[in-house]
Parts: sequence; C-alpha cells; structure tokens
Amino acid sequence: MSARTQPADAASRGTAARLVLAALRPVVAVYGARWTLLPPLTGAAMLAMLVGAVIVAPREAIEGEVQRIFYIHVPSAIAAYLCFSVVFAASVALLWTRNLRFDAVARAAAGVGVLFTALTLATGAIWGKPIWGVWWAWDARLTTTLVLLLIYSGYLLARSLSDRGDVQAARYAAVFAIIGFIDIPIINLSVHWWRTLHPDPIVTRLPGDMALPTSMLVVLMLGMAAIMLLALWLMALRSEVEQIGVRGDDLRGEIDRREAQRSGAG
Amino acid sequence: MNATTAVLLKDLRLLWRQRSGWLSAATFAAISVLTYSFALDLATGEVKPLLPGVLWVTFLFAGIIASGRSFAAEAEQGTLDALLVAPAPRSAIYGAKLISNLIALLLIEVAVLVMATILFNTALLSAELIAIMVLGTLGYVSLTTLLSTLGSRVRSREVLIPVLALPLLTPLLIAAVRATGGALDLPTGGEAWLPLLAVFTAWSALGSVLLFPFVAEQ
Repeated sequence: MSARTQPADAASRGTAARLVLAALRPVVAVYGARWTLLPPLTGAAMLAMLVGAVIVAPREAIEGEVQRIFYIHVPSAIAAYLCFSVVFAASVALLWTRNLRFDAVARAAAGVGVLFTALTLATGAIWGKPIWGVWWAWDARLTTTLVLLLIYSGYLLARSLSDRGDVQAARYAAVFAIIGFIDIPIINLSVHWWRTLHPDPIVTRLPGDMALPTSMLVVLMLGMAAIMLLALWLMALRSEVEQIGVRGDDLRGEIDRREAQRSGAG
Repeated sequence: MNATTAVLLKDLRLLWRQRSGWLSAATFAAISVLTYSFALDLATGEVKPLLPGVLWVTFLFAGIIASGRSFAAEAEQGTLDALLVAPAPRSAIYGAKLISNLIALLLIEVAVLVMATILFNTALLSAELIAIMVLGTLGYVSLTTLLSTLGSRVRSREVLIPVLALPLLTPLLIAAVRATGGALDLPTGGEAWLPLLAVFTAWSALGSVLLFPFVAEQ
C-alpha cells in the first residue's frame, strides 16, 4: 500500500517544488536586476512624489500648505516599520541558520530604519510647530517612534562596538533585535494609555467613510511607492556594502596569516 | 543533589562572596534618593506626586548596576564554558542568576523604601506597594540579566547595557510608576496599570528564558 502511494507522493512533492520554484523565478529575476531596476524607478517615483505633493495635491482647507509634508511623513513612518520587520526576520534567520550574511542584512535594515524614523520625527516636528504650537509633545505615537529610534540606535551601537565577524556579538544583537521588535506592541499600548494627541490615521478607514479626497490619496500612494523603493534600494546597497566589508576583513586576516607563516618559515 | 540545585546554590554563594558588587549598587541607590530628596525639596513643597517616578528611576538604575555584570565574571574566569557543558539545562543557568539578582535587588529596594519613608515623610511599606515592587523588579531584572550576557569582547559594555535596556523598559516604567501612584492615592488615569505590569513581566521573563540559550552559546 505504502509502496504504491510513495511514488505518487514523491511525484506530487516534485510538482509542488517545481511550482514553488516557478513562482519564485520572477522574484529571483527581479532581485538579480535590482541594480538596474531600483535606481531609475526610485528616481522617477521620487520626482513624481515631489511634483504630486507640491503642485498637484490640493491645498488643505484647515492646515494649509504645511499639510503637504504628510505625503513624506506617513510613508517614512511605514518604511521604518518595514525596515524593522526586515531586521526582525533577518535576526530570526541568523539565530536559525548561523549564517553571518543575515547579520549584514539586519545591520543594513536597522541603519535604514533609523534613518526613516529620524525623518518621521523631523517631518512630524516641522508639522507640529504650526499646527500644535510646539515642536515636540509627549504624545503616544511620538513617544513610540522615539523609543523605536532609541532601540535601533542601541542595536547599531552594540553592533558597531564589536567586530563585524564576531559571531557571538551578532547573536547577541539578534536576540536584542527580536526582543525589541516584540516589545513594540506593549510600548504602543502603554504610551497610548499614558496620553494621546496625534491625529487618528485617516487612510486606513473603510472605503465607505474614507476621509481623504481621491487626489490626496493618489499623491500619498505615489509617496508610498517612492519611499518604499528608496528604502529597498538603500537596504540593498547597505547590505551589499556590509557583506563586502566582511569579505574584506576575511581577506585581510588571511593575508596576515600567510605573511606570518612566510616570515616564520623564512 | 541535581544540577539545577547545584547551579542555584553556586549563584547564591556568589551573591554572598561578591557582595561588594551589589552593595555598591545599594550605595548608589541611597545617594540617588538622598540627592532627589533635597533637589526636589528646593523646587517644590509638594513632593508626593514625584515620589513614584523617583523610586522607579532609582530602582531601574540600581538594577542595571547590580545585574549588568552578572555574567561578566563567569565569562572572564571561564565558569560559563564549564556551566554550558554541565548537565544543567540552559534555563537553570539563567534562572539561578535571575533569582540571585532578584534577591539582591529586593534587599536594595526595601532599604530605599525605608529611606524614602523617612526623607519624603510618606508611609511606603504597604503590602500593595511591596507587591508592585516585586512584580516590577522581576520584570526588569529578567531583561537586564539577559542583556548582561553581552560578551567582554564588546567595548564599553558598561555604558551599552543601560542604553540597550532602558528603551525596552519604557512600558514597565510607565506601568510601575502609575501603579505605585495608585497605591499612594495619586491620580492614575484609571487604566489597568497593574495587569499591564504583570503582562510585561510575564513577557520579559518568558522571552528571556527562551532566548537565553542563543546568547549563551560559545
């Protein structure tokens, strides 16, 4: 019985594997073409976002021109969360596989994430001054964003104070990144109970009572595409640089070893 | 005697022999409360609303000083390697360290409460406050004990551990300060701070036990 079903099983598993590979082929192709695709696409999307945000989008009735910063503020915040999810996934993969390549990816994503978190805080402060009358307030979302900035700056600091190829330091940083990522919902809840001032999200409501006019939504989507592409490009660049750095360190160690050997022999 | 008990007894013995480490944290906590007391007394006549914040900031800093070097001596003297090949489970190595840190910190904190009772003229040794203190201390010590495994190869680790720990402890600080305020009849905003503190403590203890094997590997 089992002997008869086994070939069929193996065949179906083979088919499944082939299907997965076929589905992955475009992903692999796009990944392989990242250096030809990402720069022009990001450039075009950034230009479109700027034109859309400054010229096309209508002037907001109550907040005025300063509202236009929203088209870069919201995508930056979402890009930061995207980067931190990549840090989390790469850290889990590092602990799982022990492959230091994932450490390079995590470090790259953390750096880009910190950049976008800082951008979110800066654009938020520029918007807050005319609208709230203050640059900074201890509001829930602002506090969470600031704590995120501190957590991932700490991650980068811990990683930069140790050697690039130090496996133990990489595992430690990965554990810290995992704890930090899982901490985010609790931080969010605690500061929300503490105090809230930030306007509620107006994009994620149901389509029926969408509060954002279509033209603004289109520009926001453009901004989203532009910032996400920029984040992906920066992450790809940074992780490439980190991996080249690791390889450089390895090569330098190898040269030192051989020179020591030769001088020992001579 | 099984391996888990042996590890626990070793850490309790270390707690006694290396008492200069956590006694210096205790001195720091005492100086900190004294300094707060006269600095805040200069600024305002009504110090009671500030008390929960003063207590928890003192507890957190003393906690990081007292537990930040938990695994440093083990790593430097090679005890950690021996422990890792011993037939004790990894969770026992972590748990024993956690328990000895917890004992040291609860001693420090009770001393701080006695001092603050005198300096701030507020009765602080109630069952409710002690319960909040034990719960919150377990929450932060489980995280700082995990973070103290930071290897000796990482430079400036003394500065790094508070920089890493304090942002993660934001929810604990908020919940513990508010819950303590509630115990002192201060306004708390009416949220369920004690359950939040319990959830954070459960989360940090569980997460640390599960992740400890990954950082302790040589």
